[in-house]
Amino acid sequence: MTSELASVDRRLIRAQQRKADKMREKAANDLPPSLQPKKPVKVLTIIVLVLAAIYFMFPIYWALIASTKSPSQLTDSNGVWFAVGLDKLPDAIAANYATLLGWTKGYFWRWVLNSLIYSGVSAIIGTVVAVMAGYATAKFQFRGKGVAIGIVMGSMLMPAALLTIPQYSIFNAIGMDNTMLSVIIPCCVSPFGFFLGSVYAQNSVPDELLEAARIDGAGEARIFFTIVLRILAPAMVTIFLFLFVATWNNFLLPLMMLSSTDLQPVTLGLYGMVSLATFTDRGALMMGALLGVLPVIVLFLFLQRYWKAGLAAGAVKG
Amino acid sequence: MSATTQTAVKRRGSSTKRSKAFRREERTGWAFMAPFCILFLVVFVIPIIWAIYQSFFQQVATGGGAYGGGSLENKFVGFANFQYVVTSSAFWQGIGRVLIYTVIQVPLMIIVALALAMLLDSLIVKHVSGFRLLYFLPYAIPGVVASIIWVFLYNDQISPIVKFLEMFGVHPDFFASNAVIASMANITTWTFTGYNMLIFLAALQAIPHELYEAARIDGANGWQIAWRIKLPNVRGAALLAMLLSIVGTIQLFNEPQVMQTADPSISDSFTPMMMALNTSRGSLTPKGDGPASAIAIVMALIAGLLAAAYAIVERKVNES
Amino acid sequence: MVSLNKRIFASVAAVAALSMGLAGCGSSGSDSNASSDPNEKVEITYMHRLPDNAGMTTVDSIVKQWNKEHPNIHVKATKFNGNASDMIKKLETDVKSGNAPDLAQVGYSELPEVYTKGMLEDVTQYAEQYKSDFASGPFNLMQVGGKYYGLPQDTGPLVYFYNKKAFDDLGISVPKTQSELLDAAKKAAAAGKYIMSFQADEAGNMLTGLAGASGEWYTIKDDAWVVNTMTKGSKSVAKVFQDLLDSKAVATNPRWDPSFDASLQKEQLIGTVGAAWEAPLLMQSIGESGKGNWAVAQLGDWFDNAGKTGPDGGSGVAVLKGCKHSKEAMEFLDWFNTQVDALISQGLVVAANSKDAKTPEEWKTYYDGQDIMQEFIKANENMGQFTYIPGFSAVATAMTDAASKASTGSQSMLSIFEAAQSTSIDTLKDYGLSIAE
Repeated sequence: MTSELASVDRRLIRAQQRKADKMREKAANDLPPSLQPKKPVKVLTIIVLVLAAIYFMFPIYWALIASTKSPSQLTDSNGVWFAVGLDKLPDAIAANYATLLGWTKGYFWRWVLNSLIYSGVSAIIGTVVAVMAGYATAKFQFRGKGVAIGIVMGSMLMPAALLTIPQYSIFNAIGMDNTMLSVIIPCCVSPFGFFLGSVYAQNSVPDELLEAARIDGAGEARIFFTIVLRILAPAMVTIFLFLFVATWNNFLLPLMMLSSTDLQPVTLGLYGMVSLATFTDRGALMMGALLGVLPVIVLFLFLQRYWKAGLAAGAVKG
Repeated sequence: MSATTQTAVKRRGSSTKRSKAFRREERTGWAFMAPFCILFLVVFVIPIIWAIYQSFFQQVATGGGAYGGGSLENKFVGFANFQYVVTSSAFWQGIGRVLIYTVIQVPLMIIVALALAMLLDSLIVKHVSGFRLLYFLPYAIPGVVASIIWVFLYNDQISPIVKFLEMFGVHPDFFASNAVIASMANITTWTFTGYNMLIFLAALQAIPHELYEAARIDGANGWQIAWRIKLPNVRGAALLAMLLSIVGTIQLFNEPQVMQTADPSISDSFTPMMMALNTSRGSLTPKGDGPASAIAIVMALIAGLLAAAYAIVERKVNES
Repeated sequence: MVSLNKRIFASVAAVAALSMGLAGCGSSGSDSNASSDPNEKVEITYMHRLPDNAGMTTVDSIVKQWNKEHPNIHVKATKFNGNASDMIKKLETDVKSGNAPDLAQVGYSELPEVYTKGMLEDVTQYAEQYKSDFASGPFNLMQVGGKYYGLPQDTGPLVYFYNKKAFDDLGISVPKTQSELLDAAKKAAAAGKYIMSFQADEAGNMLTGLAGASGEWYTIKDDAWVVNTMTKGSKSVAKVFQDLLDSKAVATNPRWDPSFDASLQKEQLIGTVGAAWEAPLLMQSIGESGKGNWAVAQLGDWFDNAGKTGPDGGSGVAVLKGCKHSKEAMEFLDWFNTQVDALISQGLVVAANSKDAKTPEEWKTYYDGQDIMQEFIKANENMGQFTYIPGFSAVATAMTDAASKASTGSQSMLSIFEAAQSTSIDTLKDYGLSIAE
């Protein structure tokens, strides 16, 4: 019965989605002439958007160029173009790549993989756990709910970086430091994720749907995993991305927790390059940073599809 | 929230089953909360309690003398660490800096993000997803690396931006004492605008299109739709983003820490977060986890006050 | 999920192992060194922050060599990827919970503080026999209050790096006295060049070294510190830099800012005081265009230092508290720290007693054939005695702060040393240590 219900629900969502897509298209194409944006407005909008794109992309472009340069070329050559001719470019790239691999002792790609594991696993666990808790506070009455929400929200005020030392003490005391879990566990708790989950659940999970499922005799766990999670998909993408990037960029936690070279995430390796005061090879660092960002970009492109698909089911509302 | 309560009450309708149903709901609620709560306990609650406990101690050498007896002991100092924090001019200067940041950078970033989201949602441009990716990319760059990039772009001898401006006779000094906070704010804005825009765009695109249709039939133009329908619908997301940015700003750390290499006048206590971490690391005195925890706690209290004040103001504005 | 389960299992196993380990600890008693069976295999862990750059002989490969030759003493090296203060923070927690590495890299200026924090194991009984392997100055920097806690690795005597070609073009030579220095600097400034740099970000280390060349700041009288940072040397350093700054004859770029590199490349900055370990870094910063132009000289008598120089940086390897095999650890350490060629490849000026330390070919060609290692060894032997106090890192921070204000002219150079004085007193007091009035 529940599966039937779920499929009805799925069909409903899909239909809704198609409708919304179609309407959007129609709205774009069939606007009455009076409502079509006027040419100057259109041009102005595009100029503004392109200027903004230049602002956001220029530093990355610069980093891209910088990643092909040696330390002295970085400071004495033209910042917006390669320091060597295009024919010599592969050599320049190879040189910095060698420097990067040298710095990271050949571990670079291993570290990227580690980062993927840390970010991926903690974001998945973190998202599910946060959405479950958010759903509970949005849709159930229980004693201590107000206090729990208060404590979780209050903890957002505490600077997380300073909790790293006590967290390390705890993991160290139970002998779990220098394991993958010592990075994953702290990273999968996000008060912000909990809050988003709660808001989303409140706004987009209709009570009627839950009631209907209960009347059909579906268990709570089943309702959650077959119906609620599906409705909350776009919300989960948002939380997932947030957790993923937050874990990816965290360096203080792995710095303290991990000592084995083969467990380190890529940011820690990069931070290791920066934190030696004597470090000057910034071109190779830029290359490392850009290569390290690649998986995040791929992930974003991949998730974009889901985002679009889930939009009709409702996202953050006021 | 009230809608939920109503349904709950409705469901509890018949009084004979009431307590049983209620107990079941309570059990289910906590069951869903449990995984998060357990993790939260380990990752937040215990460390926070530890920090509060630590804040009443200072680490001093046993035995005194020139080098001490070769070990440190935790000396209970009562509220001395807190007294140190609230009487420290360095701490309040740091708070002052992040407040300026909060007042200028946060609203600016939110407005820019909102404006970009509205433009992308305005049906004027075709390649929404392309722009969306471009704007979002800086968020994926680790904060430390972003700061390093910008430190180069601010450098008056190397930066192509400075060279470009100099062609027009402008000689910017991004590290001048009156500009350094603005330079820092720019790095934060660059990193986080795209992410905020993403959230706003998601909220905008979730607005049911029947609303637009209706408005058009009523003869509303694009601007009016933007002001009357779109803006009110992303308000919630915007206010939330604002609140989070305020809390995040109090904890400002990466940007000043990296900019310090280019500008030593950015002290180790430039922001409260830097002061806390550097106290913990030992490059400021009094040092150690005791004073560092006290700084963190006072910071958290101030952030809490700010967030509360913001919530109250927001509600007042909302009512009027 | 499978791997996750494995991890959970592994960590449960780890917890079990830990509790067994603790039980073992309790029964074995405090002195396990005495009962060392020659056939027993021991494991030594070593945490370092050496660069391990491309083209260097990596720490791992040096250690591998040791392990091959010493099957009974197995060493495992790990690199810490953060800065010194983060590493000490981590080690402090590790020592408290009893699972710190046996050996760790510690800077000379940090050693007293690390001792005060209770992180060190007294290895005086083993250190004596290795004394002759190291230069006496650095060897003594590894002791606190007469007891030894490890062996020195590298040193950072201050020397003078200068662009010889640019000097010749200007018709100046490396100044010998204070007045010569000021004259030459002003002459260079008139041509738009600097022969000195004032590096605010390095003030805590470099200015301390320069001032320390003429006399110590910290001495101990009746187990209490006598703090005097306003020595003749300090006043002289302040006076010279103030004069240079006032006459705009000194570069003020921070040392680790890219603009410092840029001014070297543009040949604006043609001379600077630097620690010996900066030699390969300066090669990188200056780049190919300056190849063959640069040279190294001893500091002149510029700061009432009577031809002496001072320390800037340098570190040793300390034995951490809880180390169960101090004897073996020291044996390895003596061997490791005397692997002169390998350590030089890491960019270090070794503390090991080695007259025949060779200048790497690459350095030699860059510095126009000069045997710069000999210059560094000479500077090393010529280094004044200097003792650091526990908590010196806070003093260095305060000096950096004051120096950045001094470099913009909003404070005097002398205020840097005043800040050092008051922060020294504060940091000692905060630690509950004794100060002689």
